[in-house]
Amino acid sequence: MHEYSVVAELISALVPKLDAHTGTVRAVFLRKGELRILSDRALCSAFEVLREGTRLAGATLEIESVPATVRCTACGYGGAAESYVDEAFHIAVPILACPRCGEEVAVVTGRELVVERVSIEETGNEERPRCRSSGGD
Amino acid sequence: MHDIRVSGEDILARQLALAEQNYRRLRAKGIRAVSVMGAIGSGKTSLIERLIDRAATSGRRVGTIAGDSAGDDDHRRFTDRGASSVNLNTQDDCHLDAHAVEHALERLPLDELDLLFIENVGNLICPADFPLGTDVEVVVISVTEGNDMVRKHPKIFAQTDVVVINKIDLAEAVGVDPARIVADYSVLNPHGDAFLTDARHDRGIDEVARALGIECTSTQW
Repeated sequence: MHEYSVVAELISALVPKLDAHTGTVRAVFLRKGELRILSDRALCSAFEVLREGTRLAGATLEIESVPATVRCTACGYGGAAESYVDEAFHIAVPILACPRCGEEVAVVTGRELVVERVSIEETGNEERPRCRSSGGD
Repeated sequence: MHDIRVSGEDILARQLALAEQNYRRLRAKGIRAVSVMGAIGSGKTSLIERLIDRAATSGRRVGTIAGDSAGDDDHRRFTDRGASSVNLNTQDDCHLDAHAVEHALERLPLDELDLLFIENVGNLICPADFPLGTDVEVVVISVTEGNDMVRKHPKIFAQTDVVVINKIDLAEAVGVDPARIVADYSVLNPHGDAFLTDARHDRGIDEVARALGIECTSTQW
């Protein structure tokens, strides 16, 4: 359940940045790289608990998955990582090898965990909305 | 309703910065650091014991950080083996983090060490997002965890560069084919290295030592 410590970090970093803005925060948009080993459901659950008593008490956590992209150090390929798909397991796992030549790659995107945007309502109510995610884990 | 932009610093940036700080500190002391992760009972401690022995025979001075949610069993095993060890109880937290390791480093005689093993809490999933600042990360799995161990945690193994499949002496008894685990891993991580070991009976350890940069017969790292 390391999602709790991640969300605690998210909230403590985000709240001070909202001091300059009045109103009720309604949504926090989290960009989560698909290489991260973090469950969307557990992140949302942690957010619903830890937002209480903070400026984020009336906000949902909206999670957007960021696909893995790579750069090949051998052939110069830059772009999407190839995924290993196993329908039996309902998974698509980015493979950290060059889709073109098979050599080792550097990860360009896919490991981020960042909040760049929040939605604010000028006059809020005390509603406690449920969190949503874009699906998957 | 309106959207505002907030400065987009990564939520794990503080952890990454602390890990980088640990890395630099260890590097400045000339210490090679190895992080060992894996489930409870996979054989992390036994593997480290064997690697301590290998390092010691070539005159390397070894430090260990024994991460566990409670108790000092592993810490005592490392100390008995001659390592300078720090016991790091996480009080039920499911993983070590760079901050806890930073404090553990304060308690180690860094000037006297060549090599550091950090054994994470017995938990495969949670440590994966928390780098500690080591040179190498290794995941230990046991054949008793099943044929499908790698397939059940594909994102972790796709990002793990060294995998040790331990307790191969038990493979037949539990009906597991280690070659299948290796094959699954090589699909997910074409550039990863997989090793078969029986740490309890000291088999397959030299190959792991070499892969982790612990050359036992050479004076070079």
